[in-house]
Amino acid sequence: MIYCEALTKSYPMGSGRKQVLKGIDLQIAPGEKIGLLGRNGAGKTTLIKLLGGVEMPTSGRVRRRMSVSWPLGFAGGFQGSLTGYDNARFIARIYGQEYRQIRDFVEDFSGLGRQLKMPVKTYSSGMRARLAFALSLAIEFDCYLIDEIIMVGDASFHQKSHEELFVKRADRALVLASHSPGLIREFCDRAIVIEQGLAHVYPDVDEALDVYSALCAA
Amino acid sequence: MNKFAAGWRIQRRVIGALMIRELTTRFGRENIGFLWVMVEPLLFAVLVGLIWRFMKGPEEHGVGIIAFIATGYIPLTFFRNAVTRSVRIFAANGSLMYHRQIKVLDFVLVRCLIEGIGAMMAFVVIAIALIALGEFPIPYDLGEVVAGWLLYWLFTLSLCLILAPLSEVSEVYEKLLPVTTYIMIPFSGAFTMQSWLTPAAGAFLYYSPFVHGMELIREGIFGPVIEARWDPTVPLAASMVLGLVGLALCRNIRRHLVVE
Repeated sequence: MIYCEALTKSYPMGSGRKQVLKGIDLQIAPGEKIGLLGRNGAGKTTLIKLLGGVEMPTSGRVRRRMSVSWPLGFAGGFQGSLTGYDNARFIARIYGQEYRQIRDFVEDFSGLGRQLKMPVKTYSSGMRARLAFALSLAIEFDCYLIDEIIMVGDASFHQKSHEELFVKRADRALVLASHSPGLIREFCDRAIVIEQGLAHVYPDVDEALDVYSALCAA
Repeated sequence: MNKFAAGWRIQRRVIGALMIRELTTRFGRENIGFLWVMVEPLLFAVLVGLIWRFMKGPEEHGVGIIAFIATGYIPLTFFRNAVTRSVRIFAANGSLMYHRQIKVLDFVLVRCLIEGIGAMMAFVVIAIALIALGEFPIPYDLGEVVAGWLLYWLFTLSLCLILAPLSEVSEVYEKLLPVTTYIMIPFSGAFTMQSWLTPAAGAFLYYSPFVHGMELIREGIFGPVIEARWDPTVPLAASMVLGLVGLALCRNIRRHLVVE
């Protein structure tokens, strides 16, 4: 389980502070797939960062009672000046895993081939996403946090991600921030709409999607 | 107890991984690789030692001047490098904050470890080279040398623990740093012993936490030829106080850290 208790987060803005999240209470059960909806700047990424422990809440707390991945996105999690292989080595070391296994998985899943010998900063955003995705799937977590990233890449990469994430890891929990109604409708058990710094939980995904499209239209 | 053992294992893993990562990003794998870490202190000590040798003659207060400068300058370059490298260390390592097992403290610790190990390697290399040339005595007590290094290292670490979070809050500290590290040279004990100064100046220097580690190192190298005054309580107490303040500051800054 992951418990969020009265989470707030604000950032300094000029002389005041911008209140991004204003009190979020949330529970994520093992195996649960949650879609995170919200307009740009609503706080989806902020919430995912708090869930993953990348940033600390201004008040409230997050309790993690299962292993939670780092947030998967374009930025973060790896070092641009290091090669893809070096990043894999680093991840293997800090998570106490066998490097050879991680390397084999990353080679196979990312399909980056010889590019893995190049520094990550030379990668396109699609290639970065492939590497980031490969690295985090190479480590087994109970809950994966995914920020939009799944959209990038071509059809065959989509197919592979789908297979790894939704078929092989069907028993894991997932928090997926996305703008794509199709994706959320297909894979999520329930959805959260973030609006005005608050999280509205909808057990019915279609209802959440309706609310969300109404918000976007307004 | 089990929890503690698990935590310790993770900590060791993280420190090891961060050190390897730091060494590869900074020095690469080409030519001598991470051995570069000791080149700078080595060059400093040799060149400054030579300059003093030509300015002041071969000996001062009965000890070889090159050996004396080398023993003082290497810890000093370690201190300066460690301090400069801890500036804005958290922002620079932001992408690593994605992994929860890595704590901000680890960054400071790793930089101090790398600089410290590099400086100690330089120290050993230069001592061996100078012993071969007859410019350096056979160390009188290696235990004292190591203990002196540890005191010096510990105090530097505690200072870095304060500087790293402060530099994140305000750029002023970064601007003031070069002049501060320069002004502190007379208080570092690198170029003089307390016993060589006037009693008043010597007594004043006694309160500088650097001096004790420094004099302990020197006693371990030169033995009773020089009169060293040291008391581990001064640097230990200073490190403890600064370290605690530093830990609190690091914890506080982590709460407000914005990670891209």
